[in-house]
Amino acid sequence: MTLVKETPPVAPPADAAPARRRRPAVLRWTALRLVALAVLLAAWQAIVAAGVWPRVLVPSPAEVWSAFVEASTVHDGVRGYSGYLLGEHLAVSLRRIGIGTGYAALTGIPLGLLIGVVKPVAVVLEPAVTFLRTLPPLAYLSLLVIWFGIDESPKIWLLVVAALPPIAAATAAAVRGVPGDLVEAARTLGSGPVTLLLSVRLPAALPEILTGVRIGLGVAYTSVVAAETVNGVPGIGGMIRDAQRYNQTDVVIAGIIAIGLSGILLDALFRGLERVTVPWRGRR
Amino acid sequence: MSPAEPDIRLRDVTVRYGPPRNPVTAVADASLTVRPGEFVVLVGPSGCGKTTLLRLVAGLEQPAAGTVEVRRATGVVFQTPRLFPWRTVGGNLSFALARNGVARAERPARVAELLSLVGLPGMAGRRTWELSGGQQQRVAIARALATEPQILLMDEPFAALDAFTRERLQEEVRTLAASTGTTVLFVTHSAEEAVLLGSRVLVMAAGPGRIVDEMTVPLPRAAATDTAALRGDPRFAALRAELAAVTRAATAA
Ligand SMILES: Nc1ncnc2c1ncn2[C@@H]1O[C@H](COP(=O)(O)OP(=O)(O)OP(=O)(O)O)[C@@H](O)[C@H]1O
Ligand SMILES: [Mg+2]
Repeated sequence: MTLVKETPPVAPPADAAPARRRRPAVLRWTALRLVALAVLLAAWQAIVAAGVWPRVLVPSPAEVWSAFVEASTVHDGVRGYSGYLLGEHLAVSLRRIGIGTGYAALTGIPLGLLIGVVKPVAVVLEPAVTFLRTLPPLAYLSLLVIWFGIDESPKIWLLVVAALPPIAAATAAAVRGVPGDLVEAARTLGSGPVTLLLSVRLPAALPEILTGVRIGLGVAYTSVVAAETVNGVPGIGGMIRDAQRYNQTDVVIAGIIAIGLSGILLDALFRGLERVTVPWRGRR
Repeated sequence: MSPAEPDIRLRDVTVRYGPPRNPVTAVADASLTVRPGEFVVLVGPSGCGKTTLLRLVAGLEQPAAGTVEVRRATGVVFQTPRLFPWRTVGGNLSFALARNGVARAERPARVAELLSLVGLPGMAGRRTWELSGGQQQRVAIARALATEPQILLMDEPFAALDAFTRERLQEEVRTLAASTGTTVLFVTHSAEEAVLLGSRVLVMAAGPGRIVDEMTVPLPRAAATDTAALRGDPRFAALRAELAAVTRAATAA
């Protein structure tokens, strides 16, 4: 006599390996995103069609698309927008973002290491970093223009100043958070202070440092329009400024979308890079 | 160096933790001498200061009173492996070799040698987190050995391992110490482990931490000793029971 009724096993078929089960999930999420996008576009179109706001303020998706195409092509002898293709504007801005973040990392990481390891340096420089971090880039743009003119250097400087504080802060926090037992183990193996810093604390902190650089990159991204306020063409920020001056809302929106999309792409690339370069993230 | 000169000598050391206003005395007036080639085991209840004594010898703590003399190079194996996850298994060993001044070109061969010694041949390229707990602890032992310490300090190195792995590693450490003549200071909770490995066992008691008793282990120490037979030996069982009784008495007192 059995009290528990036998239920037939409902195990998945043996060949349903995890790798094969994941693809449908990815497809499902992608489909969900596409649906959300379609709903957004439809809502946008509906608002435009209802005429809630004047066309000049809210152009239709089709108008933004044609602004996008016009800015990306040579038409009637005119090259893109303000004499440069959208891709060229974007490339110039990306180059500035890259150089700015690069310099910020080159200075911010050593600075963060110092702040994290040398107490007197932290006492002096940590408030300075926090101060810089709270300033909106437009606040120091004027100063940079006075000091460095209106060419390339004030733009790069602005991006460096914007990206450096998060990188330095993340690096300092990361080296402070290095597990003491690993440092101790290295010490018992005969490591001096320099080895401890460069061969133990630095690699142990690297995953979080890279996260800091990614955040710095994001800050540079959001600051590029500010950096290109003055004499910003070519540059995606300069393009948006020009379009604003002539009330070309469709070009402004196309520019914003271009910045956002390239930002998502770059962030994804950087995350991939992190996975490859610091596979020990979260491992012990 | 004359054999009479000890490798480790602690004289009346006291160690305090915490703020000077309200200190915790972890070890009070402990004295201990370890001669070259000895295998000394510290046993005692939790919190009696075993780790503290070991850290003192390793130079990781400073005594509030008393003197610490350590005459030769030490290597430490902690309770957890403490491997560097950003380096491979081989990389962890290379790190130690580099600190010991081994030239870059000679490191791969030494790494292979060390890995064979701890029973992990061919594992140099693996990531540390791909290894089991027992394998990681073996790498930690190999890493400590890479600096060619004349004194090996081991703090409950097998406590987190399963019985099977523990017995294997106990045997390996016993053989290693006997064949190389390395001086060992070893911390454990287990009377069985203490009697199996030690040539001398020091019993500690808590409140404050101090050394209260000492026992010499008159069992064969040669590298070729059959440890399986030893575990079944009635003398071994008697010693283990005696040590357990001494430890219990020390804890009760
Ligand atoms: N960093 C510390 N700060 C404050 N107190 C400490 C510290 N380390 C140890 N102690 C105290 O010192 C005493 C001895 O600790 P210790 O770690 O040496 O004990 P133990 O014999 O190794 O114990 P166990 O067998 O549990 O590992 C304990 O009372 C502990 O609370
Ligand atoms: Mg302990």
